[in-house]
Amino acid sequence: MTSRPIISEFVMEPGTGKAIELLKGQILRIEQVEGGQCADFNCFNLHDYKEFMHCGRTRTVHGFHPTTGTFMWSAPPRERAMLYILEDTVGRNDVLFPRCSAYVYEASYGFAVHTNCHDIQAEAQREYGLTPDDVHDSFNLFMCTGVDQDGHAFMTRQTTRAGDHVDLLALMDVLAVPNVCGADVMKTSNFALKPLKLTVFVATEADLAKVPNTPKLASQRTPKDFRNPAIKSDRPLRRDPAYRAEFPNTPIVVTELSIALDPEELAMFNAVKRTDIYGDDDAAALRDLLFSWWEERFLQAHAGAPSIESK
Amino acid sequence: MAETIVRLRLNQQQLELIDRTIAQGVAPDRVSLVRLALREYAAARKADAATETAR
Repeated sequence: MTSRPIISEFVMEPGTGKAIELLKGQILRIEQVEGGQCADFNCFNLHDYKEFMHCGRTRTVHGFHPTTGTFMWSAPPRERAMLYILEDTVGRNDVLFPRCSAYVYEASYGFAVHTNCHDIQAEAQREYGLTPDDVHDSFNLFMCTGVDQDGHAFMTRQTTRAGDHVDLLALMDVLAVPNVCGADVMKTSNFALKPLKLTVFVATEADLAKVPNTPKLASQRTPKDFRNPAIKSDRPLRRDPAYRAEFPNTPIVVTELSIALDPEELAMFNAVKRTDIYGDDDAAALRDLLFSWWEERFLQAHAGAPSIESK
Repeated sequence: MAETIVRLRLNQQQLELIDRTIAQGVAPDRVSLVRLALREYAAARKADAATETAR
């Protein structure tokens, strides 16, 4: 394997984070020093902080535990692949939990002040002029989580060891903001705070060749496509008297389409129609059948999730 | 032969998806596409039920 040139190395001490300019084609390695430490992570488009990594979009595409071979996506309407997970020696990350916050430690544990991922992220990115309101939900590296039978997310201990790491390849210039998760009174990092090592590499041609193509779509909009591209600079909200609503594809117009079912077709329909949901509304049941069939036959992604297959 | 009329109510976006599917050659027109959907959907459920029974 071709060795990667190292650009920088940094150790994040417990209770801290670091904002790092990671340019397209560079790799950020987040590495266990002792083992057993969760890292919270988010990133921004380096040239437009309004574009940031969105856990909701990412988990919709890749599930609750994204690992090697998946992407970190920006929020709608950008929806671009920002980073590619090139390597993950553990394979257990989380995009279910938000970053922990001061409120959690005060409300549940009684701390007036306690290390927490929101405040650590905020302090790290303050170096670049961002505010605490600019912290977004984190991609939680090495965090072991799941969903219990009652529908609640839970966390448990991790089994990472020194040297375990995740390599994130930048697909655009980003401000990457990892931090040492501040949770020492939860199982997240096995009840202790440990340092994490950061290394920035130049990706090799072999690294870059591993990244699958993703779609380039008209719906991936940037400020040049916005009706209002200006970033609001004051806090109160006031109605714009010149506002005229321009919702896409409105008004929604319904057209009737008559379908004549012969006895055989009617029998088929009666055998499968969802009377449990639609009762005797056969029109609604047939519409459900039509689009359920379409999903089964043509949809490449999970229902409701964006396809990332490049055509 | 007695026929039963079902009046589907579809909005312009749903019709667009149907029309794009027709344009791919899946069916010659909207009504035919709905009929195809019914037959394939019912056949798939019948096959699933048969598999379940065989277990």
